[in-house]
Amino acid sequence: MKIFKQLLVILGLSFGGELLSNLFNLPIPGSITGMILLLILLLMGVIKERHIAETSDFLLGNMGFFFIPAGVGILVSYQSLKGNYIEAISVIILSTLLVLAVTSLVTQLLIKSEKKHDRKVD
Amino acid sequence: MIEKLTDTHLFGILLSVACFYGFSYIRFRSRQSCVNPLLLSIVAIIIVLSLTAIPFDNYMKGGSVIHAFLGPVTVVLALPLYRQRRLLITHKYAILGGILAGVISALTSVIVLCRLFGLNELLERSLLPHSVTTPIGIGLSDLLGATEGITILSIIITGITGAALAPFLYRLMKIVHPVARGIGLGTAAHALGTTKAIEMGETEGAMSSLAIGVAALTTVGVVILLQYMSWY
Repeated sequence: MKIFKQLLVILGLSFGGELLSNLFNLPIPGSITGMILLLILLLMGVIKERHIAETSDFLLGNMGFFFIPAGVGILVSYQSLKGNYIEAISVIILSTLLVLAVTSLVTQLLIKSEKKHDRKVD
Repeated sequence: MIEKLTDTHLFGILLSVACFYGFSYIRFRSRQSCVNPLLLSIVAIIIVLSLTAIPFDNYMKGGSVIHAFLGPVTVVLALPLYRQRRLLITHKYAILGGILAGVISALTSVIVLCRLFGLNELLERSLLPHSVTTPIGIGLSDLLGATEGITILSIIITGITGAALAPFLYRLMKIVHPVARGIGLGTAAHALGTTKAIEMGETEGAMSSLAIGVAALTTVGVVILLQYMSWY
């Protein structure tokens, strides 16, 4: 019964997100509206962790399964790759390395400057 | 014959469950975290469909049932973000600043590199959300009018690349702070990067996990801003 109760909350929020996005013509996809809605309700304390925990953890822990059909969808859309496999993979690898470098470097520099700033305040 | 037999919702669901279970079992048995059940399942199903006379639409009958759960899977991403919210208290500005810089460099680097390599616009749009966690990436892919399948594969390649190369890159660039190491991995390589961050240490893992959600929402915000301003 607990699982159904949790499923009700999660499916309801998911549907609510779709509804909000469609009704108000929001630029955000309904699924993401639903996520933001859940985050707000959790922060406000309207929904408690125990209302969704077990079912959410199951979905989160096995997330990969739900992406299989979308991935297989490449069968009908690979034409847009037009044989540019190596170029596309290069873009992904180079961009990933850049993001990794920029994010960690900026975070580290900002933490160091926080420390210096703290010392001055002291 | 086989075309008729597989013309049921159960076929696609059964094939997906069988593949995912099989590769998850191999991963569990071999203790190799690089065995990716999602990627291997996609490849296996594509091979099955190509080698047999089973039409793509027959697989998708069941596939669309699984696909319908993407909404709820995206919604529950709010929970880990909520659980990790206290981590933001220390180093709030450093974390948010680092993630924002990472998100902007992800989007601009894809646009610049794709144009440099002469890739078409549909491909460019499909690769744009490559650093984001998969459910949000699919949402963004739809929003951008791109191809879900290519976006998913780019997200998986990103995760594998980030997890494999982060240790070398961090050594090379002298990234020693555990918060910076975790935030970098989570922002660049989502959940797959987080498994590597957890290996590095507890703080790295927690920060990486926080960064997945924050980076995803930041990316959504920046993409919508770009579209709103008609810059993209």
